[in-house]
Amino acid sequence: MSPHVETSVAAAALSVDNLEVAYTVRGIDRAVLRGVSFSIAPGEAYGLVGESGCGKSTTAYASMRYLPRNGKILSGRVLVDGDDVTNMTGSQLQRFRASEASMVYQDPAQAMNPSIKVGRQLIESFTLLGRSKADATNDALQALRRVRIADCERVMDRYPFQLSGGMQQRVVIAMALACDPKLLVLDEPTTGLDATVEAEVLDLVRVLREETNAAVLMIAHNLGIVRSLCDRVGVMYAGQIVEEGPCREVFDDPQHPYTVGLLRSLPRRGVRKTEQALATIPGMLPLIGTDLPTCVFVDRCPLADDLCRTVVPPVVPVGITGNRYTRCHHLDRISDIIEAPTDVPIGILAKSEDNPDVLELSHVSKTFRQRSTEVPALVEVDLQLGEGETLGIVGESGSGKSTLAKTMLGIESADMGGVVSLDGHAVAAKTAGRSADDKRAMQMVFQNPDSALNRAWSVRRILLRSVTKLTGIKGDEANDRVEKLAAQLRLTPRHLDLKPRQLSGGLKQRVAIARAFAGDPRIVVCDEPTSALDVSVQAAILNLLADLQAEQHTSYVFISHDMGVVRYLADRIAVMYLGRIQEIGLTDDIFNGPNHPYTEALLSAVPSLDGEITTRIRLDGEIPSPANPPSGCVFHPRCPRAIVGVCEVSEPPLVEVAIGHSMRCHISIDELRVLQQGH
Amino acid sequence: MSDTEHPGPHRDHLISTPSADALLPATPVEIELSGALQLSERHQARRENWRLIRRRPAFMIGTFIVAVWLVCAALGDRITPHNPLDFRVSTHLSPRAAFPFGTDSQGRDVLSRVMAGALDVMKVAPLAAVLGVVFGVTVGMLMGYIGGWLDQILSRIVEAFLALPVLLVALLAITTLGNSTLVVIGVVSALFTPVVARTVRAAVLAERDLDYVTSAKLRGESSLFVMFKEILPNVSGPIIVELTVRIGYAVFTVATLSFLGAGPQPPSPDWGAQVSEGFRVISAGIWWTTFFPAVAIASLVIAVNLIADSVQSVLEAS
Repeated sequence: MSPHVETSVAAAALSVDNLEVAYTVRGIDRAVLRGVSFSIAPGEAYGLVGESGCGKSTTAYASMRYLPRNGKILSGRVLVDGDDVTNMTGSQLQRFRASEASMVYQDPAQAMNPSIKVGRQLIESFTLLGRSKADATNDALQALRRVRIADCERVMDRYPFQLSGGMQQRVVIAMALACDPKLLVLDEPTTGLDATVEAEVLDLVRVLREETNAAVLMIAHNLGIVRSLCDRVGVMYAGQIVEEGPCREVFDDPQHPYTVGLLRSLPRRGVRKTEQALATIPGMLPLIGTDLPTCVFVDRCPLADDLCRTVVPPVVPVGITGNRYTRCHHLDRISDIIEAPTDVPIGILAKSEDNPDVLELSHVSKTFRQRSTEVPALVEVDLQLGEGETLGIVGESGSGKSTLAKTMLGIESADMGGVVSLDGHAVAAKTAGRSADDKRAMQMVFQNPDSALNRAWSVRRILLRSVTKLTGIKGDEANDRVEKLAAQLRLTPRHLDLKPRQLSGGLKQRVAIARAFAGDPRIVVCDEPTSALDVSVQAAILNLLADLQAEQHTSYVFISHDMGVVRYLADRIAVMYLGRIQEIGLTDDIFNGPNHPYTEALLSAVPSLDGEITTRIRLDGEIPSPANPPSGCVFHPRCPRAIVGVCEVSEPPLVEVAIGHSMRCHISIDELRVLQQGH
Repeated sequence: MSDTEHPGPHRDHLISTPSADALLPATPVEIELSGALQLSERHQARRENWRLIRRRPAFMIGTFIVAVWLVCAALGDRITPHNPLDFRVSTHLSPRAAFPFGTDSQGRDVLSRVMAGALDVMKVAPLAAVLGVVFGVTVGMLMGYIGGWLDQILSRIVEAFLALPVLLVALLAITTLGNSTLVVIGVVSALFTPVVARTVRAAVLAERDLDYVTSAKLRGESSLFVMFKEILPNVSGPIIVELTVRIGYAVFTVATLSFLGAGPQPPSPDWGAQVSEGFRVISAGIWWTTFFPAVAIASLVIAVNLIADSVQSVLEAS
């Protein structure tokens, strides 16, 4: 029942044929891959997408035979350039990994030895191939040039930690390419990187793919990346590829209910919370090792009927080209789900002029002291937040987003001179100095629910403590409130008696949100609340946040790196760079432009899932150290539009260029409009 | 079973652990289970820990030895073959059927004295260890959580304490304060405090910056609450390990102190005191008066350490 793949096995650089892999847990084999088949031609890029736990990484590791000790290949073949990886001996395997296939992992810092200089590690990957020391050194320099590192001698003489994340990933890619691999496996290669750096690394992979003619297997949770980089894509669910085809076709016209669900759970095409709730995929991925029903997706599928429960769905070719297939009985009914209206649009309070401001920051700065040097992490920030409004905060890591959040909340105290006001009255810089009501008014949802929830406490205790501490209610009344909170967040009573580690990531984040809402806060600061979650779970959380806001008129400060998410949820957006607000305006202003050149670069770095053509603006270099900011406009060294003689001399003030739209740029709004007209 | 998503908040964009899929079998938490199933899994995990530790021969041997000494300590001269303080037998009899461990210079039965001597150690050592751990947890918690200058000062004091020769200080303190059982317990626990404090401090430092602590501060919890209600349960693993290890050390330290005379005085059947009494006549070939109490000390120290090792490895694995 291997699907009809158009690339012939002989010509493929990688051909996976009916691969079944199981992990042995407590002596029992648990199936993870259940007959995965696909092939990649030389020079082709193939993406695997799906929720975490669907088996995409296992597929990647299995294709290198890098399975963990308890993993084993039960059946099937993996052919790399015609050689069967599954029955190689130890030494053959070693030779294969040294010279035929390479892998790039998510975290470049872990892929390198932290105590050996980059040069020596790189040279070693060449001496391993039998080169002499001198040749290897030359090759290493060559390899660094190949990954577009300009100053290669200097980079060779550094330790990994002295390089930025983007630079580290380039070095890792250089090492991976040392052997001129036939197959290059990329496992979430840009997940830890900033959007602008991610765009650079993806560009590099794109160029290198053409240069080397290697087959690329790309694992990514970000569908936009896969769309922008890969030729074909396989959508995995519960250890099977449920749909496969050219990226553009699959993403524009999905033909499997799972693909449809996955795509619809992403905020796309500028949809806003005021217009539509996001679609979610009900239910959860089946446990690994459980006996699957006939169709792997049947339990969560809106189209499932008796046929789906009794007959294994066939591999159905889609279209006439023969390079696309799906595993679904109801191809003819796919359009039903696509056209079915998503949940009722939620009535949400749009920010209007007469909403009073609940939070105001004026001249708020935060300077950290590291030894004797001063590091300004936040510089003269002025902000207002209206009742029921969502303010999105975006910017690369190191731009001061989190410091801004912590300073509002009083986790860090603002420098002298800055004032944080709540409902019109100034509050103490530190949380501890604020009144009970002020503490209650502002709460936070953290990025990582594992760290945010006390793992020794039960969910009930976590919520109860917040309720009693923040509202002063006690006894039965407090218990009732905990149960009401839980119900609001769609947690069932039985979840209350569990410990956080027994909950899935999405449930944990719901508990964290419930805790933040325990005292009916006026403002909730959300720091990347969905970035650790799968897209379908993210959609549920975003819907929940929007619902809670509609009910309670809570204001949100929403920090995110995901432009799509910010666009969906935020009424206004502030763009930060090096501790300064560079641009702030209504969401439409930010997305329609004209923009500050930094915003322009950020927006164009986002790999689009919709295939919109945008002219890419590339940023050179890295964010400068806040301890030693550039002169004049702090963005000028990286700014593609910088005016020599002006921008490095004086820092532009934050000026209102249109109603409610301010930016910090020497170039006038009209000039920017003309410059940015192309996109 | 550890958590699925290891805390990785250091990067803005961190989405999942590097090989989340590959590691999945050990981490089934991503998948939402029915409540009943989860609860039973939790019980299973606890039972699994018990099963694991009981399967370790080291743990079983250690527990058996400790149990034997506990019985001796509890029942004392009710089960000893002779009165441990009785002088009437001939002196320095070598081991034989009537006196399996021989008799000492006063003609007392060594076996009976070794059995009765368990009481002294069992009274002093665990109490000293528990007290040392309680003090150590308190000091270490303050150092780790409050930090700043308090940590600086306490750290220097801890280092100074660690640099001192333990026994000398203990001897000095006991000779100054008198050698009552209470003083011995106090001195030994005081000597353990800095070591425990250092371990606890390190564990607290790893917890202090986690977001649940931030969240507690945001709702206005006091430092005491955060330290002892929020953080303490999460560092209980290293504390339990520390406690078992300290009991072993306490047995040894207490025995050494009484060997040096800073403990129960003759005619008490204390093990350290017996070794001290007997070792002068070893050169005359009378080895049993030293050997058997020494073996008793060693057996208890080793047994406690066997238990400590097992507890540690099971706790670390889970």
